[in-house]
Amino acid sequence: MTTTDKPTQENTLGSPSPDEPGAQTLTLSVGPQHSGSGHMRLIVELDGDIILNAQPDPGYVHRGIEKIIELRNIIRSIPVIERPSIIDASNLNHAWVRAIEELQGVEPPARGQYLRCLLNEMNRIMSHLYWLSIYGVFLGHTTMFMWPLGDRELFIDLAESLTGARITYSYLVPGGVRRDLPQGFAEEAIKRTEYFEKRLDEYENIFFKNPLFTSRAKGVGVLSRQKAIELGTTGPTLRGSGVDADLRKDEPYAAYGELDFKVHTRPDGDSYSRVMVHVDEMRESSQLIRQILKKLPSGPVRRKAPIVVPRGEAYGRVESARGECSFYMIGEGGDKPYRARYITGSYRNMAAISAVLEGVRLADMPTSWWSIDYWPVEADR
Amino acid sequence: MSAQKPVQSDDPIELLADSLNVWVGKLSDIVHKVIDTEPIRNVINWARMYSLWPVNITTACCSAEFGAASGARHDLERFGVLPYGSLRQSDLIVIEGTITKKMAKRLRMIYDQMAIPRYVIAMGDCAISGGLFHDSYSIVNGAHEFLPVDVYVPGCPPRPEALEHGIIMLQEKIRSSKVYPQS
Ligand code: SF4
Repeated sequence: MTTTDKPTQENTLGSPSPDEPGAQTLTLSVGPQHSGSGHMRLIVELDGDIILNAQPDPGYVHRGIEKIIELRNIIRSIPVIERPSIIDASNLNHAWVRAIEELQGVEPPARGQYLRCLLNEMNRIMSHLYWLSIYGVFLGHTTMFMWPLGDRELFIDLAESLTGARITYSYLVPGGVRRDLPQGFAEEAIKRTEYFEKRLDEYENIFFKNPLFTSRAKGVGVLSRQKAIELGTTGPTLRGSGVDADLRKDEPYAAYGELDFKVHTRPDGDSYSRVMVHVDEMRESSQLIRQILKKLPSGPVRRKAPIVVPRGEAYGRVESARGECSFYMIGEGGDKPYRARYITGSYRNMAAISAVLEGVRLADMPTSWWSIDYWPVEADR
Repeated sequence: MSAQKPVQSDDPIELLADSLNVWVGKLSDIVHKVIDTEPIRNVINWARMYSLWPVNITTACCSAEFGAASGARHDLERFGVLPYGSLRQSDLIVIEGTITKKMAKRLRMIYDQMAIPRYVIAMGDCAISGGLFHDSYSIVNGAHEFLPVDVYVPGCPPRPEALEHGIIMLQEKIRSSKVYPQS
């Protein structure tokens, strides 16, 4: 950056004269060693305090998962496909089993379908809470870092009693789920969800109505409805811009067709709307958990499914916590897919980062771009 | 440090400065020896043990459990572990999982910029030996390939309790280590 106001002066330092493009701006590299980026880098061009242009530089966590899937059989690759979004493992797993089941022509039993939805919704809450806690860090609000992470443990305990693992469940397998509900799960889950909803009211008072948050989120980082659709965003980002799109409603899978829930949208498209969509979704999921437990049919949880990917092509997609996650799979009749294309919600939302950050102040950068709920590991795969 | 010996000059001030340098060097040796004696070392190590500030660098998905460990239930801060943004003031890298080739360069860069003493914890199977992704084309199979690792915490991902155990092990290691590791 140069701020000299004598444009004709001989410039011995080799810095550009103020007339040249780029001379009045400052380019910052934020990350990957971060306090305001994740495992990624943001290249931000500034004019004074205003962001002119922000480019994400992803790929710090690219682990070649699509290739690894081709090397493992379909059961062994379940842990691998969970890893990109470890805090939202069950939803990604669901997209995988949907694609396989479509090829195999296997329909899991009703109870299995409900249990899938149960874990999905718990995962959605956990994922949103984790995201919210990082949002608190980015705002310098330590209470909002501690509270969501503490309340997330409520659901982690539940999931652990259901699947045996804290966050990496590998619970959904082709043909159903691995195991049935443990004893006393339903009562415990109902107690915890009710407590959690009360906690959300407390969050409201300490954070969502706090000027510390609202003044930095309301009207900041606006993504218009038109732009959100053009950029192909999904999930809470899209719904925060006022588009009513949710795969659970639009293309009901598993047991979602029989469940009663609302899709929450907010019209404004700013950071505040995106945050509040997450919060509304948490309430909805909490309600859904109770509903699932009430409607849970009896019967087996798993049907026999072969470890084979029949010849053909299939497309499995679900609404994960961060948007639409999909697998496009080509089978050749072996126990591994010939090719599996794996696209996650964060990957689709990456395009929105530049759009959201344009015109925002540098100090608002972390809160604006994090409101997209971009999880770099998930986007890089 | 250049290998060449500087040319002796006749300037008395420079001569004086040279001899002073020799004396300062000797003095610092003595100071190092004194500090490394038992009672003083114990005090310094005690201070180091309980103020391990890790750098804010996340490499992959184990960061979710690192986050949970710093959060409300597990609260790493009671061990003196407070994630910190500035790497000049921090003394610990917790490598949270898979190290891709792109990240490995940055990790090394960060390690080189940190002040001594600095410690490394390799968290997760991926950071130890490649783990789930050992046959991937884009990762480094283990942190030991480019960094000296003090403590390994196995698991995929390790539970927060395991990470806490790793930190206690590192503290034990610091308790019995010398203040000036090179000398
Ligand atoms: S050890 Fe497991 S959880 Fe940790 S980074 Fe590797 S795959 Fe992810």
